Amino acid sequence: MKSQRSRILAKTPRRKEHVRSSFASLRLCERVSARRSSERGASAIVTLVILVPMVFALIGFGLDLGILYSIKGEVKSAASAAALAAANQLIGTDASGVAAGNAALATYDSGTALNNRYYFHGFPIGQTTGTLISSVDGPVYYATAADAIASSTPTGTEVGPAFAHYVRVTVAAQTKLLFWSFLPGVSDRTIQVMATAVAGVSAPLCQACGIEPYALAAINQGDPVDFGFTTNVTYSLYYACTGAPPPILPGGGILVPYVLLNRLDPNATVFADEATQAYRDLAGGLPGNTDSTVACFRVNNPEMSWVSAVVAACSTAPVAPIVTEALCGLDTRFESTVPGSCELIPSVDLLATAYQPDTDPTFTDVYNDYGGSGRRIITIPIIDVINPTGVMNVLGFRQFLVQPQFGGTNIAAADTSGRFLAMYIGSVAPVKQGRFDGGCGISNGPGKVVLHQ
Amino acid sequence: MRPARTHRGGVLVEAALFVPVFLMLLLGTIELGKVAYTYYMLEKVMYNFARYLGTQQGTNFCDSGDPNIVAAAALAVTGTTDASALPIVNGLTPGMLQVQIERFDAASQQVVPCDCSVAGCDASQGGQPPDFITVSLTDGYTVHPLFWGFQVDPFPLRPEIKVPYGGT
Repeated sequence: MKSQRSRILAKTPRRKEHVRSSFASLRLCERVSARRSSERGASAIVTLVILVPMVFALIGFGLDLGILYSIKGEVKSAASAAALAAANQLIGTDASGVAAGNAALATYDSGTALNNRYYFHGFPIGQTTGTLISSVDGPVYYATAADAIASSTPTGTEVGPAFAHYVRVTVAAQTKLLFWSFLPGVSDRTIQVMATAVAGVSAPLCQACGIEPYALAAINQGDPVDFGFTTNVTYSLYYACTGAPPPILPGGGILVPYVLLNRLDPNATVFADEATQAYRDLAGGLPGNTDSTVACFRVNNPEMSWVSAVVAACSTAPVAPIVTEALCGLDTRFESTVPGSCELIPSVDLLATAYQPDTDPTFTDVYNDYGGSGRRIITIPIIDVINPTGVMNVLGFRQFLVQPQFGGTNIAAADTSGRFLAMYIGSVAPVKQGRFDGGCGISNGPGKVVLHQ
Repeated sequence: MRPARTHRGGVLVEAALFVPVFLMLLLGTIELGKVAYTYYMLEKVMYNFARYLGTQQGTNFCDSGDPNIVAAAALAVTGTTDASALPIVNGLTPGMLQVQIERFDAASQQVVPCDCSVAGCDASQGGQPPDFITVSLTDGYTVHPLFWGFQVDPFPLRPEIKVPYGGT
């Protein structure tokens, strides 16, 4: 029994060494200590072989994940910016697709000095050559937000830019993983980070800012969609007057009176002159102001007409000077030269340089064919009834495309009845600024561009 | 008992050799992680700044003291428009954020900086709003990472964000 045990021990010297060494001779002790020094080396090798790579791998994955998160953030910001820029340009025409594409491209295109990039702002987005490439899918256009959010792959719900109100942009960017190659069998260290953004119009705005202070009375208040107006019909608008209305302008269909709502800013410090204010309001919409009662209109709010824009008898020609000055502002949407009848407006020559004319100043029969930049689109309040001396209630906002005089490329600002042509287009173009909170009980109308995803 | 003690001592020596190495590796990783995290947070702060500013009414970009710009910078940096909270990224101040306004030039199909004139983007002179806002850090956000217990040369992080301008 005893001999058997010693034989086993001799065969397996490492086992139970503590027990053995306690009872062993000095010589044995020496042998054991010699063995132990070799053991210490083995333990160091085990540590080196197993622990160091493991620690390195853990550290590596930690680092790689951190970089991936950082890139994901950058790519997502870039996708959001591109989607917002594109959606802002969609005004319901075929030509707006080109503008939307250009606007999206402008947010990340490497041709400019400042733009959205990724990998610690080191690589341009959309670069197709080099070690790391990235691609931008879109802007892809959709008619509804649900379609835009649902279709991560082409599903056939895409529409042309003329019908689109929502835009989807997907950015896929390659990055290199630093420690990925420690894994056996990994030949490709690049990995793709993707981010998607959906932008489009919001709910109908209850408060629209930067719009034009003209107002039309609803033809049919019971029609919540178009208020009795017909899309693609050019109306002959004239400044409201009493008695027999002026004749229809050539090219226009139905005669509709309009009024100028009061947006005279009594606290204005620059261009405080009343004529200049009216000119600016119609040249580029109400100027930005931190006071929303000056820069915005709100649904269901009572409005008064501009005091000096008196409603006179139609036989009294011409109309109040302020109406002409407003028309001068509207004319900047067609031409950069100042018409002779507008020269008396203070600082008009200086201001005219700030307003770019539309790229398409020609008469349009169908809104879809309009090829311009949207400068000719006006968003105006629709009121219940024109009341020159009392309160008018805002029912909603609708958009019109201002048309040049028949056969021309501008409008006649000097018209003695304040007439111009405008095509009803509904609520196709997004408004730059506004609020849709507060609950104003409307189901139709223009919105502003927001991110949906 | 003596040999056992010798063994334990060996482990101790091994530990004494390896623990500092692992500790340094670990600390270095944490520092690298901090740099990546700081970059991500800066990027977020600047996106919030640009997006908030892009939806405000009547901002005059040619005046760095414009209430909207001040409020947007305070919101981005501290999370409150009146700057009543501590900065989200340590040491980041609203003064380090730089806003550049740009316009899409239809003729050259390029985005060009918008100057402060009537024909440019100066709202106080009657100029029209810009098309894009670019936010950058004037001198970058300098990080001082510690590697292996030694100070590495501080280097700046320079994220940049461009978003379309929607406000009027």
